Amino acid sequence: MDLIIGGAYQGKLDYAVSTYGFNKDDIHTCSDDIVFARCVDHLERWTLACVRRGEDPIERFAADPSAWSGCVIICEDISCGVVPTDADMRSWREANGRLLNWLSLRADSVTRLFCGIPQRLRR
Amino acid sequence: MKIFVSGGAKNGKSSFAQNTVKRMAGSGPLYYIATMEPHDGEDDERIRRHVADRAGMGFQTVECPRNILDCLSSVDTNAAFLLDSVTALLSNEMFPPPLYETDVLAGKRVALELIELSRRVRDIVFVSDFIYSDAALFSETTEQYRRALAHVDRMLAAECDGVAELFAANVIWHKGGAPE
Repeated sequence: MDLIIGGAYQGKLDYAVSTYGFNKDDIHTCSDDIVFARCVDHLERWTLACVRRGEDPIERFAADPSAWSGCVIICEDISCGVVPTDADMRSWREANGRLLNWLSLRADSVTRLFCGIPQRLRR
Repeated sequence: MKIFVSGGAKNGKSSFAQNTVKRMAGSGPLYYIATMEPHDGEDDERIRRHVADRAGMGFQTVECPRNILDCLSSVDTNAAFLLDSVTALLSNEMFPPPLYETDVLAGKRVALELIELSRRVRDIVFVSDFIYSDAALFSETTEQYRRALAHVDRMLAAECDGVAELFAANVIWHKGGAPE
């Protein structure tokens, strides 16, 4: 699994498409649910849905690692800024951060995008 | 030479940019393109203090809160320029007075104008702000602004020789490196 992270609009999906040659059908854009397609985009939208349902997103990943071990997973970094006043936003930030740490340790590579420029954080 | 600088608030972007552009200028002219538009007496006072600080460093200040290419008529282009900040310029262009209604084309226009500006001057340093990693669901207007600023940032990062992220006064070079 290759993990691609970075702030909003930093060129994460563009980078994935140009690096792996994905077409539209290869990409699942998360919302309330997640599908382990070749490329899973906007993972953070699914973690928000998990938090609102009271689920732990790590459990879903831990249940069946073979389902996603070949995926490219793209997630927005939402870890900066002031502590949110809204409880759901606070839980979201925590759950998303914990999931990213968990995935990062299990990823074959971790790449951060900054203003369209990739930075390899982990081989 | 062209350098793009970004990072979170209070990480040393402006100081780094000022020192970098001063080195690029050598003994030649040094301009500060001021993009902030004062809204009250407090802003006036803040700007007056900043102008005085920069005068000590050798900067000539050019006020240009919108239509950025207009600043070229009053400067020597064979010089080093500091534009601080892209963020304020885009905000002025995207939400223009008197109605402050969103100009959805502002991001594309500002990106093109800043690239044009960078090609008409000898050296330039751009300062922007990294506002893309909050845990928040923003209003559509704010989201449009974030999307537009990211577009400008990415266009400038592609155009510039150097791209620096400032973090607690440390520099991470994502592209190129410090000028000689």
